[in-house]
Amino acid sequence: MKVITIMYKGLAMAMLLLLSLCTYGQEETEANSEQLTVNCQLNKEVLHSTMIGVGSSNVLDTYLSSYNYKGTDYRIQRETMRMTNLWGGRVANQSLIDLNADVNKNHARNIDEYAGGIRYTQGWFYNFMGGNVVNPVERSQSHFNFAAGLSASGYLGVVYINRSGNNPAQAKADLLINVSGMATYDMVIAKHHYLWRYQVSFPLMGIAFSPNYGQSYYEAFVEENYDHNVVFAYPGNMPSMRHKLTLDIPIKRYTLRVGYVAQFHQSMFNHLKYHSYAHDFMIGFNKYLYRR
Amino acid sequence: MKSVLRLLILSCSFLVFHSCVKEDFYDNTKQGNYEALWRIMNEHYCFFDYKKQELGVDWDEIHARYSYKINEKMTNAQLFEVLCNMLAELQDGHVNLSAPFDFGRNWSFFEDHPENYNDSIAKLYLGHNYQIASGLKYITFDDNIGYVRCETFEEGIGDGNVSVMLHSLASCNGLIIDVRGNGGGQLTKAHKLASHFTNERLLVGYISHKTGKGRNDFSSPKAEYLDPASDGIRWQKPVVVLTNRAVYSAANDFVKCMKLCPNVTIMGDRTGGGSGMPFNNELPNGWTVRYSAVIYYDQDMQHTEFGIEPDIQLSFSGADIAQKKDTYIEKARAFLNEKRWTK
Repeated sequence: MKVITIMYKGLAMAMLLLLSLCTYGQEETEANSEQLTVNCQLNKEVLHSTMIGVGSSNVLDTYLSSYNYKGTDYRIQRETMRMTNLWGGRVANQSLIDLNADVNKNHARNIDEYAGGIRYTQGWFYNFMGGNVVNPVERSQSHFNFAAGLSASGYLGVVYINRSGNNPAQAKADLLINVSGMATYDMVIAKHHYLWRYQVSFPLMGIAFSPNYGQSYYEAFVEENYDHNVVFAYPGNMPSMRHKLTLDIPIKRYTLRVGYVAQFHQSMFNHLKYHSYAHDFMIGFNKYLYRR
Repeated sequence: MKSVLRLLILSCSFLVFHSCVKEDFYDNTKQGNYEALWRIMNEHYCFFDYKKQELGVDWDEIHARYSYKINEKMTNAQLFEVLCNMLAELQDGHVNLSAPFDFGRNWSFFEDHPENYNDSIAKLYLGHNYQIASGLKYITFDDNIGYVRCETFEEGIGDGNVSVMLHSLASCNGLIIDVRGNGGGQLTKAHKLASHFTNERLLVGYISHKTGKGRNDFSSPKAEYLDPASDGIRWQKPVVVLTNRAVYSAANDFVKCMKLCPNVTIMGDRTGGGSGMPFNNELPNGWTVRYSAVIYYDQDMQHTEFGIEPDIQLSFSGADIAQKKDTYIEKARAFLNEKRWTK
């Protein structure tokens, strides 16, 4: 009951937040109706970005082992971003598919661990500077843009340790509402525009799957004895964040994107500790398309 | 709006930076490994209360007693020996320590008792013409009694395998299922086999897992049922299950289920037990520790950690061994034949 009450409170908070965002946007719409017409014409641009990366990984899952496993993280990110006509054309929509795989070893380096998963995020960002965060190089009057907003994300993953027993693997799943901030800076060097983009996001609340402290998957899924396996997640038990810093470098007709992704995913559900830290250096290309 | 979002981002950042979820402690010294092992068992092992009641095991007293035996000058082999001795106090076959050079265990549950099984003699009963269905070896004896040798539940036993076997033995007057020496395997396979010997859903026990680090943090026991096989053949004639002290873990659970099935008689010696579902963890030096983590009770909420009594107690006869006869199989055949005639 307590969890349900907290969930309702959390949902109410999110609704209020969205409502306030809408109200703010409507005021802006009235004030900038001429700007809206211009933006509606300009907001047909869609950014597609695909990046691959490699970096370090550090995973702790006390359901499987009391100790950290460290190794290499491999990552693919596919991002689509476009400005919408909402709230005076100030809202950008971002969808992000983040696929990662880790190959880790324990401290003694005698046991292997394989972890990975896929996160899909759909977010909406309100641009406080009035520019275009999709392609600020062409649209902004200001070199600097700041946007913030909310996103919904879902994750499916697994952590597997290659030793026998009844707890060799752990499934990971969550559905989260996140708060995100984004800043862009258009750096001009010798008439060339280099775009810096930084994005940070934190899970605000949601639900996540976790076995209970000593519960076996056999009991949960064969015997169907569920025990607090769907838990309410909030920053108190899931203090996590994701950072992404990219630099877009124009090379003739193409745009090269290089970046750094830092992920700090943590949870403490049912007295089980989990963290997955990853630092990746990314590289890829951007493609700008125009919708009719 | 701007300030609300800024506040949210700043407060989340503050919370994340000050809420690192870390490993408890990592100390790869002799003392550190000793403490890690004691702590892992202390937080995860599920039978402390029962072992204290039955064996007088006091885990805190054990910590004090064994910590004196640890010093940084000892070799890994010496450390391994001390740690294994500490774990052996629990008298649990599911509690093991694995190092590259040895496997620590307490197998007193069968090593301290007569084996009541002779592999060479048992092979004579199977001969050369037995059939094998997914690890289950079976044959029909001359007196029209079916014999099934089930050495492990590691094999992928399915409804199809069992049904084919039971169909082949359908004309037999009775069936012997010999699980002596079966050290377990997958619980689902044990239940799969047992499900072919009941026509009704049976309450076979209760499950309780740990819900926290405290020694008494357990979930309320949940009922565990054995459903009759929905596919294939369900055996309706008399059955004898042969057991000895080496019947352990999933095989112990099989006996627990079969004991509740109609027309089934358990004959032989007490089973070895092992009613806890084992989990694994590791020490800072990479040695793997296995421990009982989930309690499986019987249908009366009693532990079967130290085994299940047979319905008919048997012991191997020296005279039978001399004549290359398996006392258990002979007694089971006589029992089933007698049952046939009295019927």
